Amino acid sequence: MIQSLLLSTLMFGALFSVLSISLNLQYARGGMINFGTVAYFAAGAYAYAIFTQEPPSGLDQYAFGFDLPWWAGFLAAGVAATLFALITGWPTLRLRGEYLALTTFAFAEVLHSFLLNERRIGNGSVGLANVERPDLSFFGLDEQIGYAVAACVLMLVTAWLFNRLLASPYGRLVDATRDDETAAEAVGKDTTRTRLQVFVISAIPIGFAGALYAMITTLVSPALFTAEITFFVWIALVLGGERTILGAIIGTMALVFFQELVRMIPFESVRSAQIAASVEEVLTGVLFIIVLRWQPWEKMKRRKGA
Amino acid sequence: MSDAILKVEGVIKNFGGFRAVGGPDGLTFNVPRGGFLGLIGPNGAGKSTTFNLVSGVLKPSEGRVVLEDKDLSDCKASDIAGLGLARTFQTPRAFPSLTVLENVMVGVSHTNEGPFSAMLGNWRQSDGELREKAQAALAKVGLHGHEDDEVGNLSGGELRMLEVARQLVREPKVFLLDEPTAGVDPTLQQKLASLLADLHAAGTTLIVVEHNLAFLLNLADRVVVLQNGALLAEGAPDEIRRNPDVVAAYLGADHEA
Repeated sequence: MIQSLLLSTLMFGALFSVLSISLNLQYARGGMINFGTVAYFAAGAYAYAIFTQEPPSGLDQYAFGFDLPWWAGFLAAGVAATLFALITGWPTLRLRGEYLALTTFAFAEVLHSFLLNERRIGNGSVGLANVERPDLSFFGLDEQIGYAVAACVLMLVTAWLFNRLLASPYGRLVDATRDDETAAEAVGKDTTRTRLQVFVISAIPIGFAGALYAMITTLVSPALFTAEITFFVWIALVLGGERTILGAIIGTMALVFFQELVRMIPFESVRSAQIAASVEEVLTGVLFIIVLRWQPWEKMKRRKGA
Repeated sequence: MSDAILKVEGVIKNFGGFRAVGGPDGLTFNVPRGGFLGLIGPNGAGKSTTFNLVSGVLKPSEGRVVLEDKDLSDCKASDIAGLGLARTFQTPRAFPSLTVLENVMVGVSHTNEGPFSAMLGNWRQSDGELREKAQAALAKVGLHGHEDDEVGNLSGGELRMLEVARQLVREPKVFLLDEPTAGVDPTLQQKLASLLADLHAAGTTLIVVEHNLAFLLNLADRVVVLQNGALLAEGAPDEIRRNPDVVAAYLGADHEA
C-alpha cells in the first residue's frame, strides 16, 4: 500500500513537475503569467492520441487517426504544443500581467470547449479511449514502475535543459527582459522575440508531458483537461517557492503526495469518500493561504543568509 | 553640414492635444559626425521627449529622424540601438535581478546569446572576453570593485554611471546622455567629463542633455536650446551664453556660466 502510494506520487509528481518547471521558466524568469497551462498539456495529449490511434472505422466519430508508432506521437505532441504556443503567444504577448493571464485563460477555455463540441477531433465529450502506449515489458519492468521512470526522466531532462538555458547569456537576456524592457531595448535586445521564445520553449515539455499522461491514463477527454490542472500547477509552484527549479519540483511532489494520501484512505461509504474529496480541496486551499500569508520559504532563505 | 550623422527633420510629437515637441513647424536640427551637441532648455522643454523620439522609445507624430541616411520611422527601439545608437535615461534604468557586472554584460550583443547556444554551451569563450570588456567599462566610470554587488545597493549616482557603462561596452557611434551629472558627486563628474572628452576625441558623436551648464558648455562644440518643444537657439557655446533670448528663457539675467 505504501509502495503504491509512493509509486503514484513519483509518477504523477514527476509528470506535473514538468509543468511546474516550465511555468517557473515562463513566470518566475520570463515574467509572463500564463493561466492557460492546461491547453498545452491537452494539445500534447490529444496530438499523441490522434497520431497513434487507428483510422476511424464503423461508428467512430473522430476524423483522424494515423496509426503511427508511439515515438512519432510523442514528437507530434511537442510540435502541437509548440504550434499552440505560437498561435496563442504571438497575438497576446504584448499584454502584461493580469491581461496576459486573462487572455491565456480564455485561449485554454476556447480549446477546451472546442474539444468538447467538435467530435471530429477527439470524439467530443466522450474523448478517445484505449490510447496506444509503448510496451514496457521489453525492459522487464512493471508498467507502473516503467511509467514512473519515464516521468522522472522527462522531468530531469526538462530541469537539466532549462537550468542550462538560464545559466547562460540567454538567461541574462531573459532576466533583463523581465526586469526592464525599455532598458533592454536600449541595448539592442528584441524583447518581443525573447518573450515569445521563452513562451514557446516552456510550452514544449508541457506537450511531451501531455503525451506521457495520455499513455498513463490511456484516455484523453475534455473532462481530464480542465482549468483545475492549471491552478493545481500554479499552487504547486507557489508552495515550492518561485525562481528555483528544485523548489518547483518539491512543491509539486508535496502537493501530489498530499492528494494521493487522501485518496488512499479506505472509506466505508460513498458519502464519506465525497466528504474526503471536498476536505482535500479545502485543505489544499488552506495550505495555499498559509504559504502566501507567512511565506515560510522566504524566512528560511533569510535565516540561511543571516 | 553635409556629413550629418543624425538628422531630426520636422519632428512633431503630440500627446493627445498637447504638443510636447515640434512647436508650430516641427523640430529640425542636425548633428555632425563626431560632434558634441549640448541639448538644453527649461524643464518641460521637450529634451527627454526628443531623446525618446530619436531612440525609438516614442514614434514622431510627424516628421522623421534619420541616422546615417537611414530613416528610423519604421525601426523598433532595439533596431535603432543595433544601428549603433546608445542612450541613457533621465531616471536611470537597471536590471535589479542581475549583478552590476551582468548589467553591463547584457549591453553587448553576444553572438552566442540565443537559446540554442545556451543548450549547446558554446558561449563560454566569448562570454569570458565580454566579462573583461565589461570590467574595463566599469573601471572607466568608477565602479570597479562593485562587480558582484546587487544593483539595489548602488546609489543614484552610481546607477547613472552603471547605465553609462552598459552603453559604453557597445562602442556606440552616437551616444545620447540624459542628465548624466544629476546626483553624481564632483569627483565622479570630473571622471565623466574626461570620459566624454575621450569619447569625443575618439570620434563618437555625443548628444548630452544637462542642466549643469558649467559641465556641459566646456565640453560641447555646439548647443541646441529648446523651449516649449521648439528650437529657441542653436550655435556655439559662447554664442548661446550671450544670446538674449536664451538668457531670458533659461539662463536667467544674473547667470555666470
